[in-house]
Amino acid sequence: MTSEDIKEVIIAIIKDIDEEADFDGLDADKPLRDQLELDSMDFLDIVMELRKRYKLQIPEQDYPQLATLNSCVAYLQPLLQDA
Amino acid sequence: MRCSLLVIGGGLSGLAAAIRAARFHPDVLLVEKHSRLGGLNSYFYRNDTLFETGLHAITNHAAAGDRKAPLNRLLRQLKLQRGDFSFCQQLGSEIRFLGQASLLFSNDPEVLFAEVRAQFPESWARFQRLLSLVADYDPFTPAPFRSARATLGEVLDNPLLTEMILCPLMYYGSSRADDIDLGQFVIMFRSLFLEGLFRPAGSIKDILEVLAGQLRALGGTIRTNCAVHELLTAGDHVIGAQIGKGERVECDRVISTVGHRETLRLLGRSENAACEPTARLSFVENIFQHQPWPEWQSLPKRTIIFFNRGERFSFHSPQSQGVDFTSGVICFPSHFEGMPGRSLDELRTTHLASYGYWKALAGTPGRYLDEKRQTARKSAQTLADLFGSFPANIVYEDTFTPVTIERYTGKIDGAIYGSPVKFPDGRFGCDNCFLAGTDQGFLGIVGSMLSGVSMVNQHILPRL
Repeated sequence: MTSEDIKEVIIAIIKDIDEEADFDGLDADKPLRDQLELDSMDFLDIVMELRKRYKLQIPEQDYPQLATLNSCVAYLQPLLQDA
Repeated sequence: MRCSLLVIGGGLSGLAAAIRAARFHPDVLLVEKHSRLGGLNSYFYRNDTLFETGLHAITNHAAAGDRKAPLNRLLRQLKLQRGDFSFCQQLGSEIRFLGQASLLFSNDPEVLFAEVRAQFPESWARFQRLLSLVADYDPFTPAPFRSARATLGEVLDNPLLTEMILCPLMYYGSSRADDIDLGQFVIMFRSLFLEGLFRPAGSIKDILEVLAGQLRALGGTIRTNCAVHELLTAGDHVIGAQIGKGERVECDRVISTVGHRETLRLLGRSENAACEPTARLSFVENIFQHQPWPEWQSLPKRTIIFFNRGERFSFHSPQSQGVDFTSGVICFPSHFEGMPGRSLDELRTTHLASYGYWKALAGTPGRYLDEKRQTARKSAQTLADLFGSFPANIVYEDTFTPVTIERYTGKIDGAIYGSPVKFPDGRFGCDNCFLAGTDQGFLGIVGSMLSGVSMVNQHILPRL
């Protein structure tokens, strides 16, 4: 997957969690949680959806690496290169 | 038979836990010993009417757009929409300490604030300090018991106002006699006074059907009339359960919503009741179905009235009598905005009761039934004292004693709020079995469902 694909996947997952999420002006280097008002429960959904869709096992200690859109790309790209 | 997650108990916390897990892993089995789902919040039919067993009002009302509100967070976690339900907000409720003071509150917190300001002007500044404490306190980080009564005593320095604030919060969410943990107080204060009360336009059955439908749609399995008789273990690890009529199910993980001591019993472990710091709290609930009562038409329509006739407000099960009528809760289920009209009206009353007294009586069915009728009469008399009259045209009445509640829900001592000690992280000495619901500690309908969700988030999903 390209980095753009991965961004689209993350945004699609968040849209699925919250239909009303507003992505206008989203800064890819700032935490998703603050910008989209996601709480820790919502955040877990991103991890679980990635597991469900791509069979990715993301250990709890790696959750902080999914903080921003760009850090998601950096962390997921090696894991999803064949996806 | 085997499943990945076994959920014990088909009440609201069990249903929420099962839905949450099934969203990501459908191999979930939920077992309920009763023929109907709902647990403490179920329903039954009498006199051609559906009656709810436990529902007065649901706390934690929130506007649809308020993303951070517990109700909306819960719906997101379960992948349910507000439109799946039809909610009606309270008209307004009252805390009435007879001969002393009365405070109104509604889903607009300013109503309560104005009442406190008008009736306790000398305490208004201190009440604002309490509001800051409620806003700043983090009730979700597990902490040792801290007395809300003592804290309010210091902050408010007004015994009457302290008791009036505590009364509804204790009746709707304290498992502890004469006090409430400060964290639980903060949760309940927000849930009742800052968020507010509502109910389904129909009945609890509608909510249960949406939840059961969602669980099935996600691939989960529900078995009613299916008790768990024994949890099978290897050391501190649960490997399966003996369920239903001699069936054995193997499972990787268990969420138990039936209570701490109740789960220890299933594990065949000794339960030490002496570890509980105060006696469990038991209640009686009376339901009166009546034809419209014109004499009450001039009375202001209240949704819930929390009343106390004593000099002080005490909150413990009575010692020498079956029921303590000194205080209680009166609920008018039709007094919510937009409730569809019915030809018959319903009202409900709750009082503190003694489990031991009723348990002893239950051995003599004639006396037990007679005492139940007496209880309904005395509760009716209490209402007549409060309102000047009581409907003479009762078409159906029923009384649930602590023994009734124990029989239908399995809660030890019929204690609806469970153990006075809670297990906030759900752990109680097993490495793959966790508590959710009443004894985890989040109470009420929204609270218990969030309990189920958060225990699954914490213990099940990261390890599936």
